[in-house]
Amino acid sequence: MAEHGEKPIDRERIKAFLERNKGKMKRLLSHCVHCSICAESCFLYMGHDKDPRYMPSYKAINSLGKLYKKKGKVDRDFLERIKTMVWRDCVLCRRCYCPIGVDIPSMIALGRTICRSQGVYPNFDESDQKESWL
Amino acid sequence: MFDFIRGPLLWVAFIVFFGGLVFQLLQFFTLTRKKERLFLSVHGKTKGRWSIESMRQWFESLLTTIIGTHPMMTILTLIFHCCLFVTPIFLLAHNILLDESWGISIWSFSESTTDILTVVLLVCGALFLLRRIFVRRVRAITTASDYLILFIIVAPFLSGYMAYHQWFHYKAILFAHILAGEVMLIVAPFTKLGHMLFFFLYRFLIGSEYSFGQGTRSW
Ligand code: HEM
Ligand code: HEM
Ligand code: SF4
Ligand code: SF4
Repeated sequence: MAEHGEKPIDRERIKAFLERNKGKMKRLLSHCVHCSICAESCFLYMGHDKDPRYMPSYKAINSLGKLYKKKGKVDRDFLERIKTMVWRDCVLCRRCYCPIGVDIPSMIALGRTICRSQGVYPNFDESDQKESWL
Repeated sequence: MFDFIRGPLLWVAFIVFFGGLVFQLLQFFTLTRKKERLFLSVHGKTKGRWSIESMRQWFESLLTTIIGTHPMMTILTLIFHCCLFVTPIFLLAHNILLDESWGISIWSFSESTTDILTVVLLVCGALFLLRRIFVRRVRAITTASDYLILFIIVAPFLSGYMAYHQWFHYKAILFAHILAGEVMLIVAPFTKLGHMLFFFLYRFLIGSEYSFGQGTRSW
């Protein structure tokens, strides 16, 4: 968002979010066996010609997973890149099914929380014409 | 060196494996709390416990799992996991060692049976590998560690097979086999292989629409 563009990223805050949830989230991330079985349960994957970027696990691994990998040391550019993933490519409808029981929506929801805490979230102003949110 | 991997390292492997699983289990119970039941699972029964109707309901609900959505993958992964689990436990060579060292004797398959199970597992492993390489959506989320873990799992089977058939240098292969088995046991509780425990915790104890059990706990 333009009005937040200059504000520096509060990495300590991001780290606090990651730290507080790591007991659950790090386990979910490590227990995902990267099998892709969850793909068809997501209507956004099915509705985009089965584009792997819409696969539930892909979205969680590349948003929250990357935040943990980088230990919260990210810049605004990074958050802007995962913004579309956590807000547009997933609507948190909770339809995804994982045979092992990995709770994908809870990971993407934490990704959203972290983005929002840094002022990175979609707005529907006419001025924001960079990308389609539908 | 041989004595070391047959002795102390074997103990380390068993202790890390079982200790690691117990540690993970305890952590899970400190991280989750009992809650009121928020979800009514699709696998829950509404009719009496063992009535025909309840069995029908249960079988129908299984079709909402990967049994219904990915039948081929279900068969493949079921065969893979059965062989993975059953083969080393009921393996004659292992149980002779167990009997010699600790006097525990368990029933074993015949050697020709385990030999076949081993080959079946290796074939399933190869199919998983091909899937990882050639199926676009699997490739999209595959990292180097996925290949590594697959190798760590397959290595004891491959080397065990080679040892049994006395390919190459028997002593060296057996050495590699024992080491491979120990590595697998040591990494299992702390990597994605931890799903052998957490599958049950996630699907039976944590409440969700897809829970197989009561689902009374939450994070
Ligand atoms: C860690 C301690 C282990 C020891 C000391 C050990 C020892 C042995 C020995 C002595 C043999 C017999 C070789 C022969 O017939 O000459 C064998 C075979 C075998 N082992 Fe292990 N093993 C260990 C772990 C494992 C693990 C963890 C697995 C699998 C997950 C495994 C799978 C096999 C298989 C599949 C064979 C035989 C294959 C065949 O008969 O075709 N072993 N092992
Ligand atoms: C007992 C309960 C277990 C359940 C319900 C379970 C379930 C699953 C599921 C649903 C998958 C994903 C589908 C697939 O890729 O095949 C999977 C993959 C896998 N499991 Fe298990 N598993 C269990 C135990 C184990 C154990 C004991 C091991 C090994 C020690 C193991 C090793 C693996 C490996 C290596 C894969 C990945 C294959 C790949 O690279 O795609 N699993 N498991
Ligand atoms: S979330 Fe579950 S179904 Fe999806 S890739 Fe990971 S383990 Fe497989
Ligand atoms: S919660 Fe997100 S990933 Fe899961 S099915 Fe809905 S849109 Fe897809």
